[in-house]
Amino acid sequence: MTVLSWLGQRLLFVAPQLVGILFVSFLLVKLIPGDPAVLMLGPFATPDGLARLRAELGLDRTVVEQFLIYLGNVLQGDLGTSWQTTMPVTSDLAQRFPATLELVTLGLLVALAIGLPLGVAGARYKRGLLRTGADYYGLLAGALPDFWLGLVLIYVFYTMLGWAPAPLGRIDFAVIPPEPVTGALLIDSAIAGNWQAFRSAAGHLVLPVLTLGLINAGPILKMTQATTERMLDSDFSRYAELCGLPRKVVVRQALRNALPSVITIVSVLYGFLLGGAVLVEIVFSWGGAGQYAVQGVLNADLNPVLGFVLYSAVLSLFIYLIVDLLYFLIDPRTR
Amino acid sequence: MSNTVLEVERLDVEFPTYGQAPARAVRGLDLTIGEREIVGLVGESGSGKTALARAIMQLVPPPGRIAGGRVRFEGQDLSTLDEEQLRALRGRAMSMVIANPRSELNPLLTVGEQIGNVLKYHLGLKGKELRERVLEMLREVRIPDPERRYAAWPHELSGGMAQRVVMAIALICNPRLVISDDATSGLDVTVQAQVLELLKRLAERHRTAMLFITRDIGITAHFCDRVAIIYGGEIMEIASRDRFFANPMHPYSVLLLAAFSHNPKLRSYWLKEGEAASEAQPAETGCPFATRCVRVREHCRSVHPELRELEAGHLVRCHYPVERRA
Repeated sequence: MTVLSWLGQRLLFVAPQLVGILFVSFLLVKLIPGDPAVLMLGPFATPDGLARLRAELGLDRTVVEQFLIYLGNVLQGDLGTSWQTTMPVTSDLAQRFPATLELVTLGLLVALAIGLPLGVAGARYKRGLLRTGADYYGLLAGALPDFWLGLVLIYVFYTMLGWAPAPLGRIDFAVIPPEPVTGALLIDSAIAGNWQAFRSAAGHLVLPVLTLGLINAGPILKMTQATTERMLDSDFSRYAELCGLPRKVVVRQALRNALPSVITIVSVLYGFLLGGAVLVEIVFSWGGAGQYAVQGVLNADLNPVLGFVLYSAVLSLFIYLIVDLLYFLIDPRTR
Repeated sequence: MSNTVLEVERLDVEFPTYGQAPARAVRGLDLTIGEREIVGLVGESGSGKTALARAIMQLVPPPGRIAGGRVRFEGQDLSTLDEEQLRALRGRAMSMVIANPRSELNPLLTVGEQIGNVLKYHLGLKGKELRERVLEMLREVRIPDPERRYAAWPHELSGGMAQRVVMAIALICNPRLVISDDATSGLDVTVQAQVLELLKRLAERHRTAMLFITRDIGITAHFCDRVAIIYGGEIMEIASRDRFFANPMHPYSVLLLAAFSHNPKLRSYWLKEGEAASEAQPAETGCPFATRCVRVREHCRSVHPELRELEAGHLVRCHYPVERRA
């Protein structure tokens, strides 16, 4: 099977998958107690006013009808309005989603940079300081809450040492942000050649990225170590040893065979962190998509929640597509 | 045999077992292989064949270990070499042909890469020269369409084809000794015959000595210069092929040969009644074969027999060797 025909098949399923995801999350969101009309009009609303607002929002219709109306709007590119920000959800998310993506992507790159080499080293040297260190690190990273680590980093590097900028958003207030193109500040300021903004954005990224990286390196380390160890123990590695190949070549081959599992865990973490980084976002006042969605849930502001789910779903499907393509490249048996 | 390639002296290989004395897979085993000699080593599963092969390569799978004795390769005691020196020997001077090559080849590397790796890391070959040598070797092991197979993946190979690839890997550096560990057992009989024929020819052409480990005593008859029978980690009988097949003296050897016989009386005579071979464990004291021997006597259960030379070059470990009947 060629890559193209396989890709076509996969894309064919994307649309029904998205509708399904949207329908389920629509139902779940409707289960959240709280009447948006009451929350919007406040304690002094008249019953008349409430009824009118409900009719306006379509809340007096059946759930299925409401869903179909929502779906129709989505198809026209209208994700509704958030009553909290009074802005269209699309423009809210255009601002916040890239903020989260930038944070999560860099965080996972750092996590990979820590977890992969440590995991391989742990698998290679089954005893010794390095392995013990890797084991403890994996345990610690799994046990520590990320927001707590964020607070500690802020305390040490901002409050005590003063090396990091204040944990208040993505860029200094005094710095003029670049014209949004991708929404990721690093990329946009690099495009604009605005190096002052680039430095400021990078400085603000360091601590939250480090927080996510240090915590998420844990599962990556564990997965890399366990799979590489299993591969080193497998028939083909033993055969490579019998052929007298250098140890580092044997380890490299084992790692290559272990890569699909590492890619899987990274993709799972990626999808999870889109919403799961919310506590870190709150600690650093990041203004990301996770924060936006949680506020929506707490205030019965449904459109932001559904918009977030839709964006995340599209992104997750996209990530899984890339993961499958990577499997394709790595493992000839899947071709 | 003028020069010896391999000398195994009183080799012991142990595998620790939980809460008990370690299992001794190989017990005080002696074996010598001369230059360009092919020695067949026949034994059933669990007889210590593979443990011996791995011990010669100094790669006993952990937690097993070499507990005593030594292996000399071209006069050099392998236990005195460090890991790097051993690595330089393995795959180059002494190599191994394995069973089930399809699961032992790396699934993510092409056939060409896997054969080439040995050349690359042992002989430092690169680029076009390396490719030429690999293709030449593929032709030598009679793989049809070598250009195409060079780029093939292990999962695309048939069993016989994979076996040829592994033979190519074993022989491409012109080793002094090849250990074939049950290499043809996974193949169809017809393919097996072809592969064996090829292996023998290659050993001759590359002037390689060979330790040919098998479960099939029939194969050794037209393949080996000498035949050794292993049971319970010990050599039971060893002789030149002609002497061995003309006059097998150990009851276990006769049992193995009788298993091929078309005469049901002969077969059942040598097989101890009511006992499945797989259930019987080698005896701890006395003769290891005592539990399964039809000719067992009191003496056999208490006194461990020594390997005795009963004819010139024909050694048997039995108190009461089988006499040839006229």
